[in-house]
Amino acid sequence: MDILWLGEETCHDVALTGGKAASLSFLSSRYRVPPGFCVTTTAYGKWGGTGKAASCPEDLGKLLETAWARLESDGEGPCRVAVRSSAVDEDGQQASFAGQYETFLNVEGVVALSDAIVRCWASAETERAIHYRETRAERTGNAGLAVLVQRLVPADVSAIAFSANPVTGNRDEIVVNAAWGLGESVVGGMVTPDTFVVRKKDLTLLKQEVAEKDCMTVSIQGGTEEVRVPGFMRKAASLEPDQVTEIAQLARDLENHLNHPVDLECAVADSVLFLLQCRPITTV
Amino acid sequence: MSTHHHSLNPMSETNQPKPIPDPPDFPVILENPDDAQLQWEYDTTHSTGPAPLLEFQAFWKTAFEGWSSANESLGIPLRIRATRLNTYFYIAILPAVAPEEMPEAMNKAEETLNGQINRLESLWKEEWLPEITGHLAFWDAFDLSGAEMSALMDHLDETLDRFLELFTIHFVIISPVYVAMSQFDDLYRDLFGSEGALDSYRLLQGLDNETVITDRALWTLSRKALKSSEIRQAIATHAASEIPTALGAFPAGQAFWSEFQVFLEERGQRSTFWSISDESWIENPESPLMSLKEYLAQPDRDMDAERETLVSDREKAIAEARDRLKGYPRQAAAEFERLLVAAKVATVLTEDHGFWIDFASSYRLRRVLMEVGRRFADADALKVAEDVFHLTVEEIRGTGRDAETADLREKVVQRSNEIRQWEAVSPPPMLGTDFGVPPEDFFMRAMGKFLGAPPEVSEDPKILKGHPGSRGKVTARARLLKSPADSEKLHPGEVLVAQTTAPPWTPLFATAGAIVTDSGGVLSHCAVVAREYGIPAVVGTVRATELIQDGQILEVDGDAGVVRIIADNEPG
Repeated sequence: MDILWLGEETCHDVALTGGKAASLSFLSSRYRVPPGFCVTTTAYGKWGGTGKAASCPEDLGKLLETAWARLESDGEGPCRVAVRSSAVDEDGQQASFAGQYETFLNVEGVVALSDAIVRCWASAETERAIHYRETRAERTGNAGLAVLVQRLVPADVSAIAFSANPVTGNRDEIVVNAAWGLGESVVGGMVTPDTFVVRKKDLTLLKQEVAEKDCMTVSIQGGTEEVRVPGFMRKAASLEPDQVTEIAQLARDLENHLNHPVDLECAVADSVLFLLQCRPITTV
Repeated sequence: MSTHHHSLNPMSETNQPKPIPDPPDFPVILENPDDAQLQWEYDTTHSTGPAPLLEFQAFWKTAFEGWSSANESLGIPLRIRATRLNTYFYIAILPAVAPEEMPEAMNKAEETLNGQINRLESLWKEEWLPEITGHLAFWDAFDLSGAEMSALMDHLDETLDRFLELFTIHFVIISPVYVAMSQFDDLYRDLFGSEGALDSYRLLQGLDNETVITDRALWTLSRKALKSSEIRQAIATHAASEIPTALGAFPAGQAFWSEFQVFLEERGQRSTFWSISDESWIENPESPLMSLKEYLAQPDRDMDAERETLVSDREKAIAEARDRLKGYPRQAAAEFERLLVAAKVATVLTEDHGFWIDFASSYRLRRVLMEVGRRFADADALKVAEDVFHLTVEEIRGTGRDAETADLREKVVQRSNEIRQWEAVSPPPMLGTDFGVPPEDFFMRAMGKFLGAPPEVSEDPKILKGHPGSRGKVTARARLLKSPADSEKLHPGEVLVAQTTAPPWTPLFATAGAIVTDSGGVLSHCAVVAREYGIPAVVGTVRATELIQDGQILEVDGDAGVVRIIADNEPG
């Protein structure tokens, strides 16, 4: 039970795989989710937390080798992964804990992967995260942490979509924010993204604001880097109209499917749209 | 041509035009008083001093008319005017549309040029080059010496028409060429940062062009000459002008000389600068013979291996860039590949267009005019054939009808005296109206990289700032050269300092350790060829030939675009 693959029935269990991974696992049968697996809360429990062990348990290391090989065969080109923490009390309907745990992108090889997993675990123990949970008074009694490992989508464009307008609260509108490159600069607010407002009913594009996007996250050896957006792309719309429609439709489908307004992260790589994360909107 | 004098200017609505007072020693008398509202600039890259009337009328004015008509056909909203003031050539660039229409017109032009950039190689091979060689073949098929005077006059008219067509093609070619290189450079800096001013040019080096092929052919001849001690002796012990006679004195020498003639026929259709009044190498091979003589004294070098090094370094740089781009959005990688393909072709065309148009066609124009001059001299209308360059086309036509009774000799004396009179004056860099720095649209940006923007002013008199031209740093003795004819004083490894170096100067790059020029930018002929030689170059210093003294020890830092005067003339 240390490793569960996205799409497996047991992987949908929040207690084992955390909110983010459980929801992606559940959605992976109907939506294009990058292949991946989850290092469960059970594995985290065996590791035992701060101070006890800085490295990856031997048993898990062996499992990771097998898992890496499977992931490598499941897709084209060199295998790189995104490693994200998936907490049991994160991404639940009660509170949005976005960004509270570590994310490692463009991780290559089993050694770097084990290292990233251990760092995710360690980060859960940091004061910052503990403090956040305490002040939110959301002590659910379960601070279990899972780690989600997925093939990295070599994104040309990353987007966040809201199936209800997060600014006005209007539930008839879908809002898509998008910018060049990997998702970090969009999610982290380093870049002002393009904004597209779409009417939910018929997916008509109502408004489009193309921003001057000056930075983007790109993959470099062993990680990512913020770089300047080249001049010719800076003021160009990051999404074509039909791509905006495709993302809006995805948001609408997910809302219908989950019976709740959602926000989602997605990425376009070589014109193919991938769903990276989906969670309920807690503010509307 | 429509002009918009209200706020002329190439492109600015904000710059306040300021009339430039006439310098006391340089009266400005313009054909049309309105022309004082244009910004007239002295082109130091191509012209290097006072020049005769016909040089202006038949060559320069026609060439710049070609630029205007090329701009018209490409939708570039700029027109070019040329004028000759006190025997110096000045050009003015003026807008073809109202200032408020400028940005949109420029955007359209950029689209058109991008269309050409995307198929630069096929345009060159399938359209432009065949058209150029078609014109050259026309001239080569004409029997100049056998033609009747009236046929020769008709031929002259046709020649001038074709020359204009060729220079229209010339500017149709160079617009996408320099824009492609400029855009590739800009994209590279955008993608990978701009620490190294010349980094992007590593990806464009080791691409053969007609200029370096010509130089290599000359070098190969020098290696041949070395194989025979007789030939080597004849060349080494005679002044360049005596070498042909010396070689003619023995069979092996005669054989070598005819091989040299083949080289000249193929590659000697060029004079020292862009000029029709200067002799070509074919007429006077002194300049390549001096290079040959100098090469004989140099140790063997493997030019192919040198080129291979440039090529493998280029491929390494391209592979590194591609590797980094794997982590970037595909749009960025695709744009990089698009502009890399174009910039590679463009790099070669910066030199090859000159080989085929500037030099091959002006050589043929000169031949026609010299034939006319010879006829006039035979009829005693002129003293010598070369004097034809002091006439106007209209005077030539008039005389052609009546050469026997015409006498233009007095006129020629006056006009050549005029040139002599102005030789001592330095022409002001700008006349008319100063519009300030033009806003940088994509086109002027590319042209600026060719011509060289004014460099930073250096506070330290021992430091001269210019533009990075070619990578590397060299410390060596300065040699100021006015022309390749001075090349005897340039020793291997020394720094060649010159106002500008036209492609016919580049055989000297095989001798020089570094190059410093007054004019030009990172895309100038000098910089492009210095990169092919892998020697440091600092270009566009404006004042190198004025501030550097022959024999001083210089440190030339090509990457920084800076020249330091390390020591004054030392005996040596």
